[in-house]
Amino acid sequence: MAMDNHGLVNLELSNLLLAFALILLAMALSRFQRLGQARKIGWAALRMVVQLLAIGYLLHLVFSVKTPLLVASILVVMAGFSLQVAGSQAKRRMPGFYRVMGSSILAGCGGVTFFFCTLVVGYSPWYEPRYLIPLFGMILGNSMQGASLAAERLEAEIAERREEIETALCLGATPRQAVETALRNAFSAALIPTLNTMAAMGIVSLPGMMTGQILSGTEPVVAVRYQIAIMCAVSGGVAATAFLLLMQGYRRYFTPAQQLRRGDAS
Amino acid sequence: MVQAEGVGLTRLDQQGRKAAILADVSFSAAKARITAIVGPSGGGKSSLIRLINRLDDPTAGRILLDGADIAGLDPLLLRRKVAMMLQRPFMFPGTLLHNLQRPLAYRKEPVPNAGSAEVRLTLELARLAPDLLGQDARSLSVGQQQRASLARAVITSPRVLLLDEPTSALDRPTGDLVAAALQDICRQREMAVILVTHDLRLAGRIADDLIYLEAGRIREAGPAAALLSGPASAEFRRFLAEPEENDGNG
Repeated sequence: MAMDNHGLVNLELSNLLLAFALILLAMALSRFQRLGQARKIGWAALRMVVQLLAIGYLLHLVFSVKTPLLVASILVVMAGFSLQVAGSQAKRRMPGFYRVMGSSILAGCGGVTFFFCTLVVGYSPWYEPRYLIPLFGMILGNSMQGASLAAERLEAEIAERREEIETALCLGATPRQAVETALRNAFSAALIPTLNTMAAMGIVSLPGMMTGQILSGTEPVVAVRYQIAIMCAVSGGVAATAFLLLMQGYRRYFTPAQQLRRGDAS
Repeated sequence: MVQAEGVGLTRLDQQGRKAAILADVSFSAAKARITAIVGPSGGGKSSLIRLINRLDDPTAGRILLDGADIAGLDPLLLRRKVAMMLQRPFMFPGTLLHNLQRPLAYRKEPVPNAGSAEVRLTLELARLAPDLLGQDARSLSVGQQQRASLARAVITSPRVLLLDEPTSALDRPTGDLVAAALQDICRQREMAVILVTHDLRLAGRIADDLIYLEAGRIREAGPAAALLSGPASAEFRRFLAEPEENDGNG
């Protein structure tokens, strides 16, 4: 174990290997009781190492990029990957899923990230990858999760509430009025993980980013300030992306003649 | 008031083949009259009335409201003139009063309170006691929900009222209450009422005109009393002789 001039512990390779003993322990426990997860744990750990090493080296390269267009392209690729993950994980996709989700992520996450980076953190230039990429990644990851939950819930709500929706249409409701409860429940489903995280933060758990900053020598108060700001950005990103998804998404369940589409939702 | 001209409806079945639900259906329904559509289950009755307020669109022919093709009307405005009561009464969360206020809230119009003449008259027409207004609508009996659903559909005085099996799931006395309410509503508010039913007794009791629909085609149509007492077609005679149990799948 080595300490630097500021009294911080530098993790050497040997320390990391020792950390891996804990993974081996998890595998051994699983094997010992024939719980059948040993291979999964090993595989997940290996993937994590490869992915993190790759991203470590990649970030080293990316942070040296000084062209706004190239940085923007990286953001688009990140959004594209998140869209692909969301699409492949969805059990049932709403009509026009990729278009609705893609535009919501782009406008919701993009808008919140731009506001956060330029006005809240206020670094310059705005495309400085060292700030922009991790912040966008954090907002994107959470927003994608929230929007996926919203999309799945909306699909289920509309299938379940066909009778209610058609009753409302028969009484002269607009499609927006007819799906009001479905939209409310889907928006709430999108926000629950973020709200739970916020509620538990600092008491039940210390967020990874803040812990990482503190361990790497940042003043706890500064780390806390960053964490608060990040949580605000994440909440804003999740809410904006889910909102845009729902406002575009519910329309896909109706025909231009304001009829609830057959089959798509049942 | 309502006219159907050569209406057809085809849909893809589960194997992806085109199936004709309705073919060449033409009829008219006048104001202040009750038109009953009867026929065996799966004959296209419910599919037909869904076309009149554009919950679905026909694949052939046209439907006119006061001479105007409804395909050219704003569906929202159409549905505010042509109300429909679906087969199973759906009560929204909240009291009966909240349910009655809903259609007006959708129109962004001032909602009537419990003491208003509008609410009082509608309750009277639907044979509902005023003390039910404050009750949770979902806790009402099925018969009360059916009449509440009727009251909710007519509180805005639509021109046309469509009903899908309004007395299914009701016992005879409760069904009679609904039938009486329907007759009063039709006459007093001069609505064209089109109802789909399996219940020949109900049709005989309140319908002015009758349409017999089988396998998506109109086999017989005309004044209800004449048709029920002297059916011309073999199909309708057979149906009258052996009416189906009311399973509600029109």
